[in-house]
Amino acid sequence: MDISFSRDGNTLVVSIKGEIDHHTAAMVRERIDARFLMEPVKNMVIDMSGVNFMDSAGIGLIMGRMNRVSSVGGKLSIKSPKPQIKKLLKLSKIESIVEM
Amino acid sequence: MKPINRMKTEFLSKSVNESFARVVAASFAAQADPSIDILADIRTAVSEAVTNAIIHGYPDKEGIVVMECILYPDYIEIIIEDFGKGIEDIEKAKLPLYTSRPDLERSGMGFTVMETFMDSLEVESEQGKGTKIRMTKKLVNR
Ligand SMILES: Nc1ncnc2c1ncn2[C@@H]1O[C@H](COP(=O)(O)OP(=O)(O)OP(=O)(O)O)[C@@H](O)[C@H]1O
Ligand SMILES: [Mg+2]
Repeated sequence: MDISFSRDGNTLVVSIKGEIDHHTAAMVRERIDARFLMEPVKNMVIDMSGVNFMDSAGIGLIMGRMNRVSSVGGKLSIKSPKPQIKKLLKLSKIESIVEM
Repeated sequence: MKPINRMKTEFLSKSVNESFARVVAASFAAQADPSIDILADIRTAVSEAVTNAIIHGYPDKEGIVVMECILYPDYIEIIIEDFGKGIEDIEKAKLPLYTSRPDLERSGMGFTVMETFMDSLEVESEQGKGTKIRMTKKLVNR
C-alpha cells in the first residue's frame, strides 16, 4: 500500500497504489483525512490508476471522503479507475455523484 | 454433475486474511483457464463474503472462517462459512445500501456486489449459529 499526495491549487491529489479492502481501508482513510486537514485545499482528486483491487470497502472509503469534501463546499473526483473498479463504481452509483 | 476438483481451507477471522482468501480462490479457479474478468469477479465476491464473516460474523471475538471451492466442468462453487453472530433478517441484509454498521464506513453494497458479480448467491444463516454463503460462477474459457 502506497499513498502519495500533491497539491494543485486548491485541490489535493491523492494517488493510491495497492489493494483497497477492509484490511487496508482504515489506514488509507486516516492518511487522506489527516492530509486534507493540513493542506489549504477544498477539492480532492483520487487517482486510482495504481489500485489493482477494490471491494465495497473502497466504496465506503470514497463515500466517506465525499462527505468530508462536500462539508467544506468542495468537489471530489475519481481519476483513472481500472475496468473492474469502474464496474463496482457503476454498480454503487458513485459514478453519478462524484466526477470521473 | 461430478466435481473435477475441490479444496477447503480454514483461517482465523483476521482482516489480513481477506487478501489471502481471494488470492487462494482465484488461483484455484485459474486452473480452468477462465478470462481475467471472471477471475476478477470471483476475487471481489470472495473478498465481500470473507470480510462479512470477519466483521459481522465475529464483531468482538476471533473465530474460524471456512472457505471451500468446488470445481465443476463449466462452473465453480464457492462456499464461505462462519460460526458467529448470524443474520437476523436475510432479505433486509441483502438490500442494496443496507448496513448494520454505518459507523465503520460500510456502504451496504457487499451482497449486491456478490449477487451482481457471480451467477448465483444463496445465504443460509441462523442467529447465534453462523452464516453460510454459497456462490457459483460460470467458467467460460477465454
Ligand atoms: N457473515 C455475516 N454474519 C452476520 N451478519 C452478516 C454477515 N454478512 C452480512 N451480514 C449482515 O448483512 C448486512 C449487509 O451486508 P453487506 O455486505 O451487503 O453490507 P456491509 O458489509 O454492511 O457493507 P459493505 O459490504 O458495503 O462494506 C451487514 O451490515 C450485516 O448486518
Ligand atoms: Mg459487506
